[in-house]
Amino acid sequence: MTGRTDRLVRLSDDSRILSEQDCQAIAKRVFAFANGGGETSVNLMSWWNGELRWARNRTTLASDRRDIRLEIWRDVGKGRGNVSTNQLDDASLEAAVRAAERSAVLAPIIRRPTPTQPPLPNPERPKTAIWSDATYAVTPEARGEAARALIGPAEAKGMQSAGYLEMRAGSHARLSSTRMGTTPAPWDIPYTAWTQAQCSMTVRDKEGTGSGWAGLSSYDWAHIDAPALAARALDKCVASQHPVTLEPGRYTVILEPQAVCELIAIVATSMYREIPEQGQGPWVLSYDDVLGLWRSKLGLKVLDERITITHDPADPLLGIFPEPWLEPVTWFDKGVLTNLSFLRDYALEKLNVNAPRRALTGYRMSGGQTSVEEMISTTTRGLLVSHFSDIRALDGNSLLSTGLTRDGLWLIEHGKISKAVKNLRFTESPLFALNSIEQMGVPVPVFRPVKNPYEQEAPLTPAIVPPIKSRDFSFTSTIDAI
Amino acid sequence: MSLNRRTFLKTGVAAAAMAAVPRPLYAQLGRAPELLPPIEDPRLASLAARALDSARGAGAVYADVRLTHTRTRRFFPLFTYDDEDMEVGVRALLDGYWGFASGPVWSPDEMARLGREAVHQAKTNALGKPRIVTLAPAPVLKNASWTMPVQIDPFAISPFEVQDHLTSLEIFTRRAPNVGLVKNNAMSTMQEKAFASTAGSYCTQRSYLTMGDLAVGVYLPRTKQQSELALDCVSAAGLGWELYAADSIPRVRDHSLRDEIVLRLEEAKEDAMLPVKALDVGRFDAVFDETSMANLLDGTIGHATELDRALGLEANAGGTSYLNDPFAMIGSYVAGAPLLTVSANRSEAGGAATAKWDDEGVAPDDFTIVKNGTLVDFQTTRESAGWLADAYAKLGKPAHSHGCANAPSAVEAPMQHVPNLTLAPGREASDFNALVGGMSDGIAIKRASLDMDFQHGSGLGLAAIFDVKKGKRVARYPSAGFLFRSTEIWKSLLTMSTDKASRRFGVSAQKGEPPQTCYHSVTAAPAVVKQLTLIDPMRKA
Repeated sequence: MTGRTDRLVRLSDDSRILSEQDCQAIAKRVFAFANGGGETSVNLMSWWNGELRWARNRTTLASDRRDIRLEIWRDVGKGRGNVSTNQLDDASLEAAVRAAERSAVLAPIIRRPTPTQPPLPNPERPKTAIWSDATYAVTPEARGEAARALIGPAEAKGMQSAGYLEMRAGSHARLSSTRMGTTPAPWDIPYTAWTQAQCSMTVRDKEGTGSGWAGLSSYDWAHIDAPALAARALDKCVASQHPVTLEPGRYTVILEPQAVCELIAIVATSMYREIPEQGQGPWVLSYDDVLGLWRSKLGLKVLDERITITHDPADPLLGIFPEPWLEPVTWFDKGVLTNLSFLRDYALEKLNVNAPRRALTGYRMSGGQTSVEEMISTTTRGLLVSHFSDIRALDGNSLLSTGLTRDGLWLIEHGKISKAVKNLRFTESPLFALNSIEQMGVPVPVFRPVKNPYEQEAPLTPAIVPPIKSRDFSFTSTIDAI
Repeated sequence: MSLNRRTFLKTGVAAAAMAAVPRPLYAQLGRAPELLPPIEDPRLASLAARALDSARGAGAVYADVRLTHTRTRRFFPLFTYDDEDMEVGVRALLDGYWGFASGPVWSPDEMARLGREAVHQAKTNALGKPRIVTLAPAPVLKNASWTMPVQIDPFAISPFEVQDHLTSLEIFTRRAPNVGLVKNNAMSTMQEKAFASTAGSYCTQRSYLTMGDLAVGVYLPRTKQQSELALDCVSAAGLGWELYAADSIPRVRDHSLRDEIVLRLEEAKEDAMLPVKALDVGRFDAVFDETSMANLLDGTIGHATELDRALGLEANAGGTSYLNDPFAMIGSYVAGAPLLTVSANRSEAGGAATAKWDDEGVAPDDFTIVKNGTLVDFQTTRESAGWLADAYAKLGKPAHSHGCANAPSAVEAPMQHVPNLTLAPGREASDFNALVGGMSDGIAIKRASLDMDFQHGSGLGLAAIFDVKKGKRVARYPSAGFLFRSTEIWKSLLTMSTDKASRRFGVSAQKGEPPQTCYHSVTAAPAVVKQLTLIDPMRKA
């Protein structure tokens, strides 16, 4: 990025994202343009995407995309104004600051008075290393080469491969004019650069009778064994051809790790302390007439005792966008609900502890030692599920959900896979499945690509989960889609 | 700053205009950055040409460039939030492979870099096995220009007028006890876009999209629960602030927004007064309201006739299509009853996907997808129309793009997105209530939302469902849904209301990798479908 301010600021070939110095310089320029006192904050994000998409065994698009997002908050009097842009030249920055000031005076966000908060006890937690030079260094040539190698085996077998390779890098800094060079507040984000790589593919036969999928995401491209994914997708496609119709009903299921993480994603989004306190959600126990409040299930056993779910923000495999104040949390300990997430204000006001925000932004689930093959060999009759699609919640209290199996579903009879079966719609609660576990395997990272931080939708939660075998999983109808 | 809202309001219209003045952004058209001119400024054509020259010089056989300037204003009752972005994206074709490069800077140097980079991206893939791209012909546009007509430009009026409007809706709704707005915000986008291609086309257009998130909450003291009623008459539309302010909008609402709120509340009250009945699982004739029909059309034929999806290009993302053999199906596949005719356009006034030219510089045509129950066409772009050349030839039609290339902004590569869809109305001179009145025994379905499978061939519908006996809704089912197969449900279409009962809704659709979200409109009238499978969606096996 050029440092000269009389030129339009662009990300160069050498530096595809903003550096820490760039961010500091931009923030200082924004702060200098502010009139009339009051705090000015910037949330500055930049990203680069190197992408390759293929279908029908040929690359359909290769792309290099970059963008910037600058959000400016201006506090004027009791009001706060907020604007955003992707233009970083001086004139645009000044214009954006003026617009934020206009907005602060004329159409303000009413600021809550910020209570005097004690400093957090340990602001210097180890930074999550979510930067990988290997990811950043992958060239378009390397992506093209990789894609051809992934397509080759499928095409040689007469199959149709479609897939996506993506390498991303980004930077993020949230800085305030009142805290430049001093201890950051819990809502500040010191400069962090991150990378993210993902590879996924679907192999289908030309008649459309079989489909196999495999994918993995990680901050580090070196952690993704793309040829192994290609082989898995192809194997699944071949094995899933010409499925037969199976009656819906309750089946013992062997859920591969990807299916487990898709099924229990809704549990991760339910982990808020406020929800049971309002008498709702899966973690409410009962109303306490004496104290006049809702009691939650915190401290009670709610899942199979073999399940422990933890999150260490310093684990790069669970790395999401930087939030240096997040602490390691055990969410479920041997099946006991031990934590629910809360904001810092909540911690200070209601829990009376000086703790940072707590949030489930990634998780590692405990497992066992049983391989999927062993699970199959010990199953008299059941279904092997590759992954799920289109899951939606039907009931927020029981987390009853419905969704579809996709890209490979097989019937297991007498310890062996006997045939491919047509996809089924399930109607089941993940909590039921996690309480009906028979066997668990070794936890592995799964495909949970993290979205850009400025995107409005909730980011997917990175996860490390085991395959599980669970009893009496409820399938309610067959579907024709393959 | 001595300015406050009170003094501002006193100063009147001039100050309001000042607050609405766009922020100056800068582009470098010559030697130095300068204020961003209107999109029609001829010097932007030179800037765009720089990218094309660069791509051509690097070896592209075809290239196009899009420049977008997007203003977004999010309105809340008490504040307004502005976003303003500039993007540029260059697409290059070389030996049958596409490359794309994009970024946020409009300058000659950056145009040149993006042109080179797009070709570089294409070249890395052209090393592999051959791929053939035949672009369907598109007339060359010479400095064409268009602005979407809107009655009230949301960026020309004071944002406070909008805030006051939203606040007044809250106050108006709260007059009744236990009622209030639980969602009340709106968003307007104005996008200026310049398109240029190496074929010699150059066009600019300015379009608008306005949408609201408006929901009435009704608190029921007896059960201590709150039910929420969303008002879909403010769903995404190619309109300005008239989406809220107009007394009526053809095919969207016949009354003012306040009257619409009152009507919906009365309707909700009427629905809630009906006794609850245990569900009879089985097959029943069903009356669908216009919202449900629009969602049904969009979820089935709307997405299944995206040609790229049908041919497997979305297999690794959203999925494929139950219309899985377009070449053989065009002109012969029975997609529904003879009553079923579905057309598509990007020309309808107020449509969320309406544009003069698509992201490939093609003027979209109005086309029929299903005619009298037979599948006759798919949604196409310049590249995908070429795939259908043989099928079109059999029908005696030339292969030409329907102009469905679209993307949220120039930073995303254009791809095929769903255009505005219209379900041709029937001849039944009646609305939803009249269709219910004509039913002796069956069910009535309102506000259905659908969970479609990844081939859009079957789905689960969740809705407000009522028991109908002798022409009256006599009970409501507290938990009910319906299962259907796309082709079966359209073949079961018995009757449909006339155009008078048709309503248009704006919907969003996500597609691609990385995912892109674009908007389109769906217009449909209430209809009767026979033998729908009613289920309890909460019931496990």
